[in-house]
Amino acid sequence: MATRAGGTGRYAQDEKRRDSDHVSFLKHRRFRWLWIALALSVTCILGYVMIDQQPRPNGGSWYGYTLGTIGFALIIWLSLLGVRKRRINPGAWSLKAWTSAHVYLGLSLIVIGTLHTGFQIGWNVHTLAYVLMLLVIVTGIYGVIVYATLPASLSANRKEMTRAQMLEALTAIGRQLETAAQPLDRAEADLVIAALSQDVFAGGALARLTGRYPGCATARALGGMGTRSEGEQRVVALLEKRAEQLSQIRGALRIRALLEVWLFIHIPLTIALIAALTAHVISVFFYW
Amino acid sequence: MAFLIRTIDFTAAGREIIRDRVVEQASLTIGRAAENDIHLPDLAVEQRHVRIDLQADGTLAVRALGTLGFGLDGRTVSEASIDPRTGGEIALGAARLAVAREGDGNIAITIRQVAAEEGKGDALRGFALASVLPSKRVMSWAFAGAILLALLIVPVASYLLRTPVKNDPTGETPGQVVMDAAWSTGDLSLRHHSLENNCESCHVGAFESVQDETCLSCHEDTGDHARSNRLAAGMPPLSAGDALQWKIAESLGKEGPLGCVSCHTEHEGEVRQKPASEAFCSDCHSNLDNRLTDTKLADAHDFGKDHPQFRPAYYASFGEAQPVRAAPGSKPVEKSGLKFPHDVHMNARGGAARMAVSLPQYGQPLECKDCHTLTPDKMSFKPVEMEDACESCHSLVSGRTAAGGFSKLRHGDVKDLAEDLARIGSGPRATPASGRTRPGQFARGGVYTADFGRPVRAYIGLSNALAPGGICTECHLPTTRNGQRDLMPVNLPDRFLTTGYFTHEAHKKEECTDCHAADTSKAASDLLIPDLKSCRDCHLGATAVKTKKIVPSSCAMCHSYHLPSGQWSPEAEGNDPHYRPAPAPDKTKVAAIFGKATP
Repeated sequence: MATRAGGTGRYAQDEKRRDSDHVSFLKHRRFRWLWIALALSVTCILGYVMIDQQPRPNGGSWYGYTLGTIGFALIIWLSLLGVRKRRINPGAWSLKAWTSAHVYLGLSLIVIGTLHTGFQIGWNVHTLAYVLMLLVIVTGIYGVIVYATLPASLSANRKEMTRAQMLEALTAIGRQLETAAQPLDRAEADLVIAALSQDVFAGGALARLTGRYPGCATARALGGMGTRSEGEQRVVALLEKRAEQLSQIRGALRIRALLEVWLFIHIPLTIALIAALTAHVISVFFYW
Repeated sequence: MAFLIRTIDFTAAGREIIRDRVVEQASLTIGRAAENDIHLPDLAVEQRHVRIDLQADGTLAVRALGTLGFGLDGRTVSEASIDPRTGGEIALGAARLAVAREGDGNIAITIRQVAAEEGKGDALRGFALASVLPSKRVMSWAFAGAILLALLIVPVASYLLRTPVKNDPTGETPGQVVMDAAWSTGDLSLRHHSLENNCESCHVGAFESVQDETCLSCHEDTGDHARSNRLAAGMPPLSAGDALQWKIAESLGKEGPLGCVSCHTEHEGEVRQKPASEAFCSDCHSNLDNRLTDTKLADAHDFGKDHPQFRPAYYASFGEAQPVRAAPGSKPVEKSGLKFPHDVHMNARGGAARMAVSLPQYGQPLECKDCHTLTPDKMSFKPVEMEDACESCHSLVSGRTAAGGFSKLRHGDVKDLAEDLARIGSGPRATPASGRTRPGQFARGGVYTADFGRPVRAYIGLSNALAPGGICTECHLPTTRNGQRDLMPVNLPDRFLTTGYFTHEAHKKEECTDCHAADTSKAASDLLIPDLKSCRDCHLGATAVKTKKIVPSSCAMCHSYHLPSGQWSPEAEGNDPHYRPAPAPDKTKVAAIFGKATP
């Protein structure tokens, strides 16, 4: 009986884990961290409104210091997500819970940080820290949105091809192009050479994000290729195949770039924020 | 229709070997087994892997014969169709079979081996955005480093390494802390604005709060509101949060809630520091007697509702050295030593008025300003001078001079009066009725003339003047000093309301008698300083609603925190009072902008 009960318990546990594996970090534990963050924000707003701060609310009143301390602790803890996710070890700390808390508590920092400023904004290290914090949060919001929406289109764009296959296809088309282009004259051959020699990943971050490649040599070759002879027609057909393959790859690049670009702001600005926060705290007490 | 099968191999030296053979059939099989039309000795290839059939429409149907698919143009499929005009590339293991139509109509299948691609994983890395952006780590270090350097390390280092110099508001003297402007949380107030670039003029020590001593190095004349132990005892208890903050702050060396900076918060913008709010005063003064049980101050928290009656300073008895302040609720009887019925002088139909009308310098009944002149600061009045204010009626003319003018008795000192009277006594006497005069140099006015008048007459004159009913006692009270007749000295305080600020300038639309009941005052012993009630006709507390008549008046309108009695002083003539009422709030920002725009 005992074994069966234990087995049932384990089964139930496994089922629970399997279920939870498919719950988004946003909905983790029925939005537990959303509610905690909301409660924290509402408490802070109520305190701000109801506590008489003399001579006016700012970061230097006792309530201001309290908000500042909470905000500072939150920022440090939230930034430790980067450390936590690299530590793959068992324990009671769920990465999903941590991520969920990261998102919701990060959002509550908008309220805590703004109240801590007492709405006093200027050109100084203190406002720099505040603005950096807002930028980090805004990029984080973007990140959550794209993580929720873009992976589906990334998968749709693949059409059952792996990235390696996409590159392989391009190589295959390239080899055929090289053979097919043999009858072409100099000018047209040069166009094909240019198309083939251009790196598939050519184009900067902007090209990836917008999906516009004004320097695309394949497009230029297609534009400059005649269609009189059979050879030319074959090359055009192959160039079109290449362009199509390229556009699939570039579609993947674009979605990937949109998925990843926020991290290139979120992470460096988080570190910059910690630096500005350090300067903020030290300077406030240095010139107390 | 035939297939041209072209195999390209490489010798060990890298030379290319091309072998062509033509297969005249409509279908081909490809696989590892030797019986296939195209034999590929590659373990990755099935024994019979793919079959190619030429279709009626000229296309090639390619089909996997086993479960394993094949690569076509990079994609793994198990069945596909190739148009030989466009061509295609079949991948089987390491072999690549390029299918294309030759010029003679045959379909060429070119087989070549490809080397296993090394670094394919590297190629895949190109899909990541990181391949075209600087690394996050580098950016993090760069940003953080720049911020820490410019906003923390440079100012701290320059603070630590400098040789402290005298304060220089312009910040041009070498030895100033550099790049600390970004630490400022806001502009300094108007009066401190010149210190904007000179943080260390106030923030003297690192991690040390601004000390009172530093403030007082400039504001040396600032008076204490009260002794600090009295202030501490009179303060209402702090809230739990404030108490905790002060406990921590004081343990770290910040001066307590009675320190300068706890009220005078700075960095709130380039504005005039606001006068203290009514609540600031009433926090302590609304029930000060609960905490400072021995205080003589009555509670006050709102001028319109709770403010003690004024206690003007006055001389309570004749000849006192110092004025005293009226006891609460008392009706002071002023002992100035003067007789002066205001009502007689102010009656527009009385004798004084008639007299004034007949005199060229008045020409009309007397007015207050005929005698009372405002001081330049418009706060109080100059002392009334007998010679300017009274003498045109209360004449002290004593006779005619030889030059034809009038001689008069000097006013102000009984000794002067005695001398002047003595001179009258020895002055020219009536010419004898005979008409005879002494001859030559013995005649009147001559060298040897002598006046043999009785000197005692002067003493009688003085005695008469000082005696009740004499000329002096028209205005003065007679007295005796050391057995001699004398007058009571005139005592009037320089300032009646000593602890508040009042300007007549702000009240010039009022009639004097609106506040000072002079027109009905019958005696100089009436203290004509207005009472609380007459002020409250217009002035109510800060929370009162402003109307055409009612002026909401906070404590700071009349009182100053640091200079409870010294706000006004004769030495500091012309100095602005500390307090200036705050400007009326703008109706809306838009209205303010339009107001500025229209000239």
